[in-house]
Amino acid sequence: MVRYFTDIWQAVSSAAVGMSITIKHIWKKPVTLQYPEERQVLPPRFRGFVHNDMNKCDACQICARNCPVDCIYIETEGKGKDRWLTRYAIDYNKCIWCSLCTEGCPTSSITMSHDYDHSVYFRESLVYEYVDPTVQKIPCHKDMRVELGFWVMPKP
Amino acid sequence: MQLLTEMIRGWFGPDKMSDQWVIIWAAVTLATLMFIVMALCALIFTWLERKVAGIIQSRYGPMRTGRFHGWAQAVADMLKILGKEDIIPAEANRFYFSFAPILVLLGSLLAWAAIPWSPNFVAADLDLGLFYIFAVSSLVIIGILMAGWASNNKWALYGAARGAAQMVSYEIPLALACIPVVMYTGSLNPSDIVIAQQGGILNWFIFRNPFLFVGFFVYFIASIAETNRGPFDMPETESELVAGYHTEYTGMRFAFFFLSEYANLFLVSLIAAMVFLGGWWAPIPGLDFAPALTFIIKGVLMVLLNMWVRWTLPRVRVDQLMHLCWKVMIPLSLICVVGAGLWMMWRGQA
Repeated sequence: MVRYFTDIWQAVSSAAVGMSITIKHIWKKPVTLQYPEERQVLPPRFRGFVHNDMNKCDACQICARNCPVDCIYIETEGKGKDRWLTRYAIDYNKCIWCSLCTEGCPTSSITMSHDYDHSVYFRESLVYEYVDPTVQKIPCHKDMRVELGFWVMPKP
Repeated sequence: MQLLTEMIRGWFGPDKMSDQWVIIWAAVTLATLMFIVMALCALIFTWLERKVAGIIQSRYGPMRTGRFHGWAQAVADMLKILGKEDIIPAEANRFYFSFAPILVLLGSLLAWAAIPWSPNFVAADLDLGLFYIFAVSSLVIIGILMAGWASNNKWALYGAARGAAQMVSYEIPLALACIPVVMYTGSLNPSDIVIAQQGGILNWFIFRNPFLFVGFFVYFIASIAETNRGPFDMPETESELVAGYHTEYTGMRFAFFFLSEYANLFLVSLIAAMVFLGGWWAPIPGLDFAPALTFIIKGVLMVLLNMWVRWTLPRVRVDQLMHLCWKVMIPLSLICVVGAGLWMMWRGQA
């Protein structure tokens, strides 16, 4: 008999407690971010799309060798001082955003940017070409690059 | 209704139309008006439900469809539902399958006729109004049973049987909680019930009698169970888990069930506002310039209360639901009736 009344009391009081908690949410700001107008604040070491600064890259191919899925395509012509970089491409169909390519780079030209929203309509558009061979052929040797005014001293 | 008959008679000339035709035209116009208002209200409340659910859950509701807070979401939902294929299961009973949603919608729409929106406007000024409303709401139960049986689906039948049991059981505390109010006014006419509450907030029935205060909460809980909402949505939750009484319904037929749920919600909220919260009277006697608006605002506040309860409390198991009704709500409502009567006698108002 007493249990009947304690049950009723527990039901009513727990419902009241619950409802007082939910009503407080009216005065709280919602946690949703209205993408694309509002974006999340990303941590500094966030691994977004890979960016390669062609001013610094000397086609040493360390990044292509480090890549676990072989998504970096590098083509060069010539040898020694006449070596030119004709193609540097990253295939984002394969890239797993592990940042192993950034870890070996001697000139720190390859970095992970904070971009993450590059959606496209065709799979071919996800192969990013960083060198346009009709417009530029990038010299690989350091002396050639300094002569042509092409190379920037990497930061220590 | 009277006003409309006068208007129609005046429009067509005094002798051009016989009395029966005037009444028929007036009735058809009012019914169409009620139907349109009911459909619009149901649409607006689907949007409001999603916004309230969002606010309670620390998120926005719809925000993108229609620039301002997604108001066009309801319209988009309706258009989507109209575009769906109309499927009737192979072995289903075609007539009952088609008729059930109409019956469910009818149960809600008929009851809307007796509600007094303002001192001058009530579609059907019935002396039996309150009794009529509760009686006609029972058509929804028949519709649900018909839907469950005609679907040729054992889970639908199961859900429909539970739904019918729940709705039939909770009609008793629903009506019993309104009995003390009838004892005060001596009339079942909704307009009389509202008129008896004039004179400011302390004259509203909820505050006139401590037993009526408890009775309001009994009515509120019974109304949540009656509309299959909130913590008492066993018949519909089966549709999330296994199936429910409207599992085989698609397209416009499903839209009828959906519309009738929100129409029923607004109906019971309006009845609560009318019977307990003073109808069209404003809380302070001087502010009575817009009675219909006041009434609708009270109804909407009750709907918001209903939604607050739905998005807070977890679902009740079906045996707990039945225990609550028969062993807690009915004794409580009977105590309210007797207690209210004794209070009235003690205060000399009987």
